[in-house]
Amino acid sequence: MSTPSPLASARRSTELGLVVMAGAITAAAYTVASLGKNAEIPPIILPFLGATLGLLVVASVATRLFARGADATLLPLAALLHGIGYVMITRLDDRLAGLQTTWTFIAIAAYVGVLVVVQRTTDLAHRTWWWFGIGAALLLLPLVPGVGRTFGGARIWVSIGPINFQPGEFAKIALALFFAGYLAERRELIATNTWRVGFLRLPEPRYLLPILLAWGFSVVVMVGLKDLGASLLFFALFVVMLWVATERTSFLVIGLLLFAGAAYIAWRMFGNVQTRVAIWLDPWPQYEGRGYQIIQAMFALSNGGIEGTGLGLGSPNKIPEVKNDFIFAAIGEELGLVGATAVLIAFMLIIGAGLRIAIRAERPFEKILATGLTTIIGLQAFIIVGGVIRVVPLTGITLPFVSYGGSSLLANYVLLALLMRISDSTARRLGEVPDDLTLGERFEARFARRRARRGAKLAARASR
Amino acid sequence: MNTRIRRLAVGLLVCYLALFVQLNLLQVQREEELTSDPRNDRQTIRDFNRPRGDIITADGVVLARSVRIDEPDAELKYRREYPTGSLFGNITGYFTFSYGSTQLEREYSDVLAGTTREQQVKALGDLFTGQDVSGSVVLTMRADVQQAARDALVDPRTGLEREGSVVVIDPSTGAVIAMYSSPTYDPNQVVTGSNQDVNDVFDFLNNYPGKPLLANTYQERYMPGSAFKVITTGIALENGTISLDSRWPNETEWTPPQTTDPIQNYDGSSCGGSLVEVFFRSCNIPFAQMAVDLGPEAMVAGTKAWGIGERLPIDLPGPVASSFGEVDDFTEALPLLAIGGFGQGNDVMVPLHMAMVAATVANGGRMMAPHVVDVTRYQDDTVLDRTDPEVWKTPISPTTAATLNTLMVGVVNNGTGRQMQLANGIQAAAKTGTAQLNAAGEPERSHAWIIGFAPAEQPRYAIAVMLKGTNDEISAGTGGRLAGPIAKQVLDFVFATEANTVAGGAQP
Repeated sequence: MSTPSPLASARRSTELGLVVMAGAITAAAYTVASLGKNAEIPPIILPFLGATLGLLVVASVATRLFARGADATLLPLAALLHGIGYVMITRLDDRLAGLQTTWTFIAIAAYVGVLVVVQRTTDLAHRTWWWFGIGAALLLLPLVPGVGRTFGGARIWVSIGPINFQPGEFAKIALALFFAGYLAERRELIATNTWRVGFLRLPEPRYLLPILLAWGFSVVVMVGLKDLGASLLFFALFVVMLWVATERTSFLVIGLLLFAGAAYIAWRMFGNVQTRVAIWLDPWPQYEGRGYQIIQAMFALSNGGIEGTGLGLGSPNKIPEVKNDFIFAAIGEELGLVGATAVLIAFMLIIGAGLRIAIRAERPFEKILATGLTTIIGLQAFIIVGGVIRVVPLTGITLPFVSYGGSSLLANYVLLALLMRISDSTARRLGEVPDDLTLGERFEARFARRRARRGAKLAARASR
Repeated sequence: MNTRIRRLAVGLLVCYLALFVQLNLLQVQREEELTSDPRNDRQTIRDFNRPRGDIITADGVVLARSVRIDEPDAELKYRREYPTGSLFGNITGYFTFSYGSTQLEREYSDVLAGTTREQQVKALGDLFTGQDVSGSVVLTMRADVQQAARDALVDPRTGLEREGSVVVIDPSTGAVIAMYSSPTYDPNQVVTGSNQDVNDVFDFLNNYPGKPLLANTYQERYMPGSAFKVITTGIALENGTISLDSRWPNETEWTPPQTTDPIQNYDGSSCGGSLVEVFFRSCNIPFAQMAVDLGPEAMVAGTKAWGIGERLPIDLPGPVASSFGEVDDFTEALPLLAIGGFGQGNDVMVPLHMAMVAATVANGGRMMAPHVVDVTRYQDDTVLDRTDPEVWKTPISPTTAATLNTLMVGVVNNGTGRQMQLANGIQAAAKTGTAQLNAAGEPERSHAWIIGFAPAEQPRYAIAVMLKGTNDEISAGTGGRLAGPIAKQVLDFVFATEANTVAGGAQP
């Protein structure tokens, strides 16, 4: 079927080896956590663990089949983070083991699905405004009466029947796709047509529209959904993509100014924002109130120290919402500075791999998209970890691959699949792996041949 | 675009660096501060979720141990139990979830929990087996002697335990054999029950008149009365202002300098004679004169040589210091110095310190640092650390010690301490004290003391007994009459059980 390629098999073998290692770490951590917590291994949970590990191997095999030239480190890094998250979540609440395994199954299926459906990045670049529509719809879905739900003060949930999910997690990918498509087409126009105001060279108003759109979006999200973390992420994402695509520093400056303005207005308008800033600066006076969570996180981290208490031996459940937003504090407590650092380094390696994919990519669309997707993961991890350890004000957002939550896991695997696709596409273009026909193209080719044969038969019959 | 992407990478890197810095601040630099925050009970939860070692007496009685709580969903897996109840309450202290810990439970918490560096290193091999690494603490104290000390405090006529202290130490090592403070409390009452119950118990104990949570043997101090004369005589002998040949005339009154108010002997009697006589009769005037003859500087320097003014160097938390006074207190107040010479006025002594004073005489002038812990052990009972005997002070020469020994033997044979003549002809040495508190506007109160050691020739045990002057009856008595029988009862028990041990061992 496909042309053999030593480089591709080497990459995929490396990947499989690393995924198996990540799986071994997960299994070992899982055993230690069970021993630490209950002094025994609950047999019922072994199938769940086995399924989770099996699924990660399936993901690697799917990559071998559908994106064999892609980067070899991204999937193992995601698997490691996913595994650590799985161990922590089941350790925090073992009733969630089954649920998280189900979500793992769905997420891996989505990963494979994206690799199968999106065989060429060009498939994505064409429908720019479609992506915008999808993104906007997803983002605003929670505001629709009847399906929208408010949990923990933020209206970011949608309930349809028994299924709850956060559409915002998917909106960020759709919007990254829209932006990459839009900018790939118009980046030169935006960059060259300028509007001189004094010494500043501002972009022309009609090309300024996207950035204003981004800003408007963030404000809508903030006002409508009270979701500070997500709006911060969208805003930063748009500004970064615009800046990288146009290579115009003035966009960065304008972006920052607009951000400052939005932040100031938000601070003035919402008591919620003021409280969060006050808690960030000094949580101690509010120990009994809103500062409790973050102080408990600090206690947890200090209790962990350098080596950690050991899995299952700390008291992370004293932190409210520990399995979602505060899972990093649980990792810091039980795995210590060492474990927390390992998690951060895994995110840094993902950033490194993602941006390397962006640099290697040749088409602007791929470059901008890879940059955007990597920024989403890197920045989201920074925002939530920084919030938990008081580097930035806390805004509720999940830690990619690690936190409990189906939408987040699913969205991040979709995002990962897209990065893998871009990486594979570049490898083909650079001739590192043979640019074989994709599955879809093979079908098309077969149809074309059949049509051609039929056409030839008809022609022959007609000519008779 | 690649330049911008590289800059973006650098930007994100800087963001993550900030995370690393903050993480290090929280987990390393501020670890101590945050872990010790009273609102952070994670350390305690961890301590209550793993076994904690035993505290055991020299005669093998378990004073404190961990008991596993066999409830499936209990937040804590272990609780502490104190099988001997209140007998060692002030020694073991307690280890509670919400109210911290005290005494040995606090001082040796690392060893008991197995978190000392040595224990951790040794446990490295068992890292993944989750083995119990807790250590145990073995005391120099004997449970049977401690029980004898408590029994001796019971008033034979009323059957009630009297408030006071009994301390028995080994003069040559400073090892504490018994140290019972009355009133005391049962630590079991504060380690079980709901928070509210425990809170009530603490309220009760804190408001109880005799302060049971404080060990009056080493955390309180009392006026010593004539028992202090051992120290005054020691200082005077060391300074050469008196000798065994010194004589004092029979007097009923003596007026020290700077006053017109005369000093009298106990009960206003006439008293005098040789040093041996004034010592066993416990005259006041000769010792007042000794102190004044020495002068404030020599006297204060002498008391400091005996460790007065310093916290006792015992291996238990919160010991207090005895006090005599500073030079400036006396230069303009020689009468105060005079009555200080026989243990009145500003003098306050810790009962344990008084046992150490007797032990110093018994040990040829060397005062050993007191200790209750003999060895600490790893989980497998091998020795982690052993307490080596240490000389704390050397206030007197062996010659002076020998002289004081003779004087104190006189007290038992011919003087105020006849109640301490021991069974089986064992020669004891002692000094009694009756500390007259005479606080203005209050009924007359006095503490009864006796300090001593035995056998006088080869001392093996030093003792201090103090009965608090809590009522008229005790206050009307003297150290010899009230404290003497207690000391005799305890020492007789010690020697009797010692004989048993030598004969084949009744000890477990």
